[in-house]
Amino acid sequence: MGSRTVLITGASRGIGKTLAEHFLAKGDIVIGVSRTETSLADENYHHFLADVASEADAKRIFTAIKKQFTSLDILINNAGIARMNAFALTPIQNAQDIMATNFMGTFIFCQKALNLLRKSPCARIINLSTVAVPLNLAGEAAYAASKSAVETLTRIVAKEMGGFGITCNAIGPSPIHTQLISGVGDDKIDKLLQQQAIKKMAVVEDVINIVDFYVQPQSSMVTGQILYLGGIS
Amino acid sequence: MDSSDIEKIVVNALQLTNQSRSDNTQIPISESTVLFGKDGHLDSMALVALLMDIEDALAEESIDVSLSDEKAMSSSRSPFKNLTSMTQYISDVIAEQS
Repeated sequence: MGSRTVLITGASRGIGKTLAEHFLAKGDIVIGVSRTETSLADENYHHFLADVASEADAKRIFTAIKKQFTSLDILINNAGIARMNAFALTPIQNAQDIMATNFMGTFIFCQKALNLLRKSPCARIINLSTVAVPLNLAGEAAYAASKSAVETLTRIVAKEMGGFGITCNAIGPSPIHTQLISGVGDDKIDKLLQQQAIKKMAVVEDVINIVDFYVQPQSSMVTGQILYLGGIS
Repeated sequence: MDSSDIEKIVVNALQLTNQSRSDNTQIPISESTVLFGKDGHLDSMALVALLMDIEDALAEESIDVSLSDEKAMSSSRSPFKNLTSMTQYISDVIAEQS
């Protein structure tokens, strides 16, 4: 399999960067979006600096993509931010920033990508959620709420776009050693792991495994699903 | 961009729509054809697809507008009823948003 066109937000580090490398290794064309420069260097890799929460940035990116590509096969909305804080002490601006990047970023990129996705015979949208949603994790009110919104968006986009042959699913990773959770204490992570059926840290490859499942042509009947790692439901 | 240019874009988008429809569901392209609403040829999903194609064509002309607001989609006297009303609506939206 190869030569698919894949757009990944938050592609400069963590899960997004590993996913970009994964698709490049398969011979796909990857369009990465992030607020920072990339260290990825590949003839099939195209990088755009952007804030995913900015509609103007998204328009600029999709205008450029349309000039170069006739369709988009896979959109992975991976860009996300998290700030742990007690609900009572969470600065309102933090909550707004988290909603903007995590929810509005996903909303905007889903919407702007639709016309290119419609032209793919096997179009896929994959959104990133978190186990913080089903676990209702204390200290993650804004983050979990933003991802809860992403999950609802995923289900509704799946319904509205099913007729166009576009599937839309989400992945809820359990804790993985990435920068996103670098500020979370070991005791908190341990407590979280104890709530899982499989009480260990996940690795990025676990996410890649689900992504590969969602994008394979045989998964055309799989849509509107949220798949959590670690045995959370 | 004047009304005739916009009408051309709408007609092109309808022709594109017809390409993906069977022979017995082709949309006759004329001013009297009911596109959307009672006895219309387009269901809501087909209308969304058509509007997306029109937005795309307008974007190629550097006109960046959003055509489907809540009022327009739910209006009992939909501006998407036929070619003439759709062309007029798009002209109005372009004038408002630019």
